[in-house]
Amino acid sequence: MAAVELTDIRKSFGTLEIIKGVDLTIEPGEFVVFVGPSGCGKSTLLRMIAGLEDITSGELRIGGDRMNEVDPSQRGIAMVFQSYALYPHMTVRENMGFALKFAGIDKAEIARRVDGAAGTLGLDALMDRKPKALSGGQRQRVAIGRAIVRNPKVFLFDEPLSNLDAELRVHMRVEIAKLHKRLQSTIVYVTHDQVEAMTLADKIVVLRSGIVEQVGRPLDLYDDPANMFVAGFIGSPKMNFLPARIEAAEAGRVTVALTGQAGVRLTLPVADGSAGVGGEVSLGIRPEHFVGAGEGDADLTVEVDVVEHLGATSYVYAEVAPGERVIIQRDEARHAAAREKLTVGLPAGRAFLFDAAGRRLR
Amino acid sequence: MNVSRFVGDAIQYLFIGIAAFLSVFPFAWMVISSTNTSIDILGGKATFGHAFAANVGNFFAQVDAPLVFWNSIKVSLMATAMTIVISSLAGYGFEMFKSRMRDRVYSLVLLTLMVPFAALMIPLFMMMAKSGLIDTHIAIVLPGIASAFIIFYFRQSTKAFPVELRDAAKVDGLKEWQIFLYIYMPVMRSTYAAAIIIVFMASWNNYLWPLIVLQSNETKTITLVVSSLASAYTPDFGVVMIGTILATLPTLFIFFVMQRQFVQGMLGSVK
Repeated sequence: MAAVELTDIRKSFGTLEIIKGVDLTIEPGEFVVFVGPSGCGKSTLLRMIAGLEDITSGELRIGGDRMNEVDPSQRGIAMVFQSYALYPHMTVRENMGFALKFAGIDKAEIARRVDGAAGTLGLDALMDRKPKALSGGQRQRVAIGRAIVRNPKVFLFDEPLSNLDAELRVHMRVEIAKLHKRLQSTIVYVTHDQVEAMTLADKIVVLRSGIVEQVGRPLDLYDDPANMFVAGFIGSPKMNFLPARIEAAEAGRVTVALTGQAGVRLTLPVADGSAGVGGEVSLGIRPEHFVGAGEGDADLTVEVDVVEHLGATSYVYAEVAPGERVIIQRDEARHAAAREKLTVGLPAGRAFLFDAAGRRLR
Repeated sequence: MNVSRFVGDAIQYLFIGIAAFLSVFPFAWMVISSTNTSIDILGGKATFGHAFAANVGNFFAQVDAPLVFWNSIKVSLMATAMTIVISSLAGYGFEMFKSRMRDRVYSLVLLTLMVPFAALMIPLFMMMAKSGLIDTHIAIVLPGIASAFIIFYFRQSTKAFPVELRDAAKVDGLKEWQIFLYIYMPVMRSTYAAAIIIVFMASWNNYLWPLIVLQSNETKTITLVVSSLASAYTPDFGVVMIGTILATLPTLFIFFVMQRQFVQGMLGSVK
């Protein structure tokens, strides 16, 4: 295992800058997840670490050594691809041992490593099959096995579960978590699925348009998002944002009134001096943080649109004002009917305030 | 079964039947004629005769068959090997390597498809003459080894080659030529099979250019020899048909051996 350090890493295709100066340190043995919407540059950043994309400027170090110009095979990395990228004309055994064969490692050692990885991943019975004779989950395990046999300093995973069905995805997620625990290796993992990010990561890197929006432990990002984008991206269903206006700003706290529903006021602890009276803001509250009517610091009455029952919980999709929708997760609301008025409480302690630019007001 | 469906099916089978007849008839005519004498053939006899052995004997008496076949095999194998290697490398390169000039150069390559061979014949002949290659087999092979059509075919097929395989191979430590040799070629074997059939058949059946370049009897290929048999003052059509059958057999053999891969290759599948 090794540390990965990115210093002002940039990537341009012609005049178009894709990665706009990323600074990041990944500690040895850490499981780091790059997460962000499509086109945010997370896969490009991973491919730059792998050496599959050139670094336009900045410096990449793996295990303390500069890697910018080093060949992918010499970086001490192994990569698992979204489509598995197994060689279709080779058996599972040949696929797993291919890199070692090319590295000039002797046959006995290759067999020992391949058999070891196959045992770890439960692939023993499949070693003479070709990839087309394997299921999606088995192919994924072979792809992971192919990475393991190389004893890399860093594992790179590029959306490895996105081609699997929902059940298998959950299963493989647990397998990858177990694998990390067992190998204790540094893992950089790319996904657009924030549930994967939350469940697997020691540290999440949230990216948007080639910029790191926030880096932190999963619960830190959930509890303390740096901006509206991270607040909206982390958490499922996503955070509700209600347009509001600052009515009063005193030392250490501001009072906001919801734009969509007259009379709903909430006072939040905000020390940020830039929150001026009359300023347009967004009040963020997660669906699971609504409380019962009268139990919060203000009550909000909504008109129920649709109720989605997931069994263990229910989501109420409702309208605060025309065009202004919220999602509410409340057990007692599970029997709400469409067009019914529902009153819920807003706890000031669980709400977030964002300015017009999406910056968090603390 | 309703009437309109019956009529539809009947028309469909009629067309298929006509197409099949038009495809098979020349072969059937060739085989039947090879058993008849020249006079019977000219008389329009369409049934098997008893002159097959005599025709075969006459053919081998008139033609140095081993030499002629060896010339054709040599030329076709050389052309196939060189064209496939050069054109598949070019197709791979055009698809895999991004550059601002790529599409312009590729368009130029495709444009050469529009130039008729008749326009190239004289300049090519002069080039070969200056290089001292007239009456050599390499002179037949050289003009076709960077085939625009085969380059186009490989580039189109390479679009179906998973890019992640190339990435995985790079991470596994393979250089570009090794990726081509150990990953691309085996994965694209159907494409190669189809291209081999196309190039081999084109080369085996090539007539005009060898007619111009090859001048001595020692270098002539089967197509030239069959043609010269047919253009004699009093051609023996029974002998001509024996020559035609022998000239057709290798291409038929290759097609039947590789037809499964040929169909897959033409469909653009990557296995």
